[in-house]
Amino acid sequence: MTETGLRHYLELTERFQAERSASAPEWLRAFRREGTEQLARQGFPTSKHEEWKYTQVGPLVSQAFAPVRTVHEADVQEAVARHALPGPGPRLVFVDGWFVRELSLLGGVPAGLTVRSLREALPEEGEALTEVLGRRGRAEESPFTALNAALLEEGALVRVAPGTVCAEPVQLLFLTLERRETPVLSSPRVLVMAGESSELTLVESYGAVGPGVSFTNAVTEAVLGAGAHLTHLKVQAEAETAYHVGGLHVEQGRDSRFASHLVSLGGALARNEVHTVFAAEGGECTLHGLYVGHGSQHLDHYTRLDHAHPRCSSSELYKGVLDDKARGTFHGRVLVRPDAQHTDARQSNRNLLLSEGAMADARPQMEILADDVKCSHGATVGRLDEQALFYLRARGIPRAEAERLLTHAFASEVVGAVPLAALRDQVETLLALKLPGAGEIRV
Amino acid sequence: MRPLLSIKDLYVRVAGREVLKGINLELLPGEVHAIMGPNGSGKSTLSQVLAGRESYEVTGGQVLFDGKDLLALPAEERAAAGVFMAFQYPVEIPGVGNLHFLRTALNAQRRGRGLEELDAMDFMQLAREKSKLVQLDQAFMQRSVNEGFSGGEKKRNEIFQMAVLEPKLAILDETDSGLDIDALRVVAGGINALRSTERSMLVITHYQRLLDYVVPDKVSVLAGGRIVKTGGRELAKELEQKGYAWLGEAARAVEARA
Repeated sequence: MTETGLRHYLELTERFQAERSASAPEWLRAFRREGTEQLARQGFPTSKHEEWKYTQVGPLVSQAFAPVRTVHEADVQEAVARHALPGPGPRLVFVDGWFVRELSLLGGVPAGLTVRSLREALPEEGEALTEVLGRRGRAEESPFTALNAALLEEGALVRVAPGTVCAEPVQLLFLTLERRETPVLSSPRVLVMAGESSELTLVESYGAVGPGVSFTNAVTEAVLGAGAHLTHLKVQAEAETAYHVGGLHVEQGRDSRFASHLVSLGGALARNEVHTVFAAEGGECTLHGLYVGHGSQHLDHYTRLDHAHPRCSSSELYKGVLDDKARGTFHGRVLVRPDAQHTDARQSNRNLLLSEGAMADARPQMEILADDVKCSHGATVGRLDEQALFYLRARGIPRAEAERLLTHAFASEVVGAVPLAALRDQVETLLALKLPGAGEIRV
Repeated sequence: MRPLLSIKDLYVRVAGREVLKGINLELLPGEVHAIMGPNGSGKSTLSQVLAGRESYEVTGGQVLFDGKDLLALPAEERAAAGVFMAFQYPVEIPGVGNLHFLRTALNAQRRGRGLEELDAMDFMQLAREKSKLVQLDQAFMQRSVNEGFSGGEKKRNEIFQMAVLEPKLAILDETDSGLDIDALRVVAGGINALRSTERSMLVITHYQRLLDYVVPDKVSVLAGGRIVKTGGRELAKELEQKGYAWLGEAARAVEARA
């Protein structure tokens, strides 16, 4: 099955590249070709693969997903309204992976900030993009990153000039249309260049216009200059019949500050990876994640935090809420290299199971090769606290409502830390719809 | 006058062990009845069973509350019917705001009684007024339920909740435990302010200290899972002087009759 699937994807990338060979410069042709070669070399992972131990990619690979050039109709507006943040933007909207100018907000971009479609930027920016493109999201490290590289065409370029402080968040909104004929594959690549001492909040929202089988294979790469602050917020709320693989790859310069807040709600199978590297001293990194699964959803999280330099601190908290027969997995690696003295690293994964059939795999992992460090990690998998439930019920709160209140309280530690009120509200709304007993919630 | 609470020949088993062995007790509307007894006598089991804790198995007897079969109701419905237990060990619930919790509780009870729910504004006003009874600072009300509260703050929070929920029956489970004298005065002051002809109280305590402030109409002594003696407020004083050992004879007498 995996081999047939691999052949489909290899043929697909070759066809794609052939169609574009006349218009693409040599460096881009080479970049895409390298993607295909890496995909062929690695193949798709099986459960024998250490980093894919808990997740079977079979259903994703066995279907003939392909890019589809979309003609979208008016009903996209409603989904845009649902996922868009209020405010002046800028906001880029993509439908099935294609940038849609008419749905985007491009006015009011402050001086020093560039936000544009990658497809439009490619011919003008040219090879200079490889300063970030492929720098940390490397084809040789994952077949999915390789597949994204092989099909590289669309996405976003976000560049903040040194010293520029952006008051308004930049939003990238990726929507998938409901469709039945071809299961659509989209491969957005987002490149973020945060110049020295710049500040930016970037929101990536993934949503669906309707139910449907789709495959989003997204790669985001960010390079933070010295003293830059980047906050990356991702809300994955695709259809529960969709497949989503997302990789976020970050390189942090001296004294830079990076925060990632991930909320994973949609997808039949969703895999989110976050890879960060301290490339100089003094950096700070916060990784937060919340995954809420029900039905037979499978929500997988893999993070790798590389303390390659001294005096950096990292703090990671991932929480999962799993109901019905959903499965959530967390595999978090923190690597503290021999030179990385005075590292401060904390990692925690906590899971709440709401049913007998739900399952959580928690695998925190620290490899500490330096001796003068402060490191801690922990993981829990548990159920709702019976003492707390009884306390609420003894005050007159019916069991179902009490369970909802406690579940919401569990999730609120991550939601409450999202540093953008408008997005926090959006996530609260999505959660209220998703948590058990939705519709009766009273706040 | 019909009793508000009527416990008849109640037997309860906890973790396979019989803890209550035939409790009989009646509580009239407006009456304050203290239950005293040594450790392990079954005082806390009695309050937990009345509040609806499922892990306590009733093996015999009956409890009527306002004429209804109390034991047939789940905990939340008992609360809506007007039963309130002040916990000996109030539970900390991180992430749930104290006021949000209490408004949810009050409105759930009001729905159960067919009353309209209070909106946030009206509730805030009510909460502010009631918090004065136990001198609970506004800052506490915004924090998570009992999280990081001191022992005294937790007990004051229990009485504050009682003031807002206005139950017909309040079961105070060792509300005096872990309180210093100043906190005890504040808590007792709150309890006294809530005494009325419409509200009965079951005051469960090991020491008679609380009863100096909250003066009961009746005192019963629980020992070995049975009520071995019932009297007026002077019984508490007598126990203070003579200790529970003094009851040994009475307890044995009950044992022999059983």
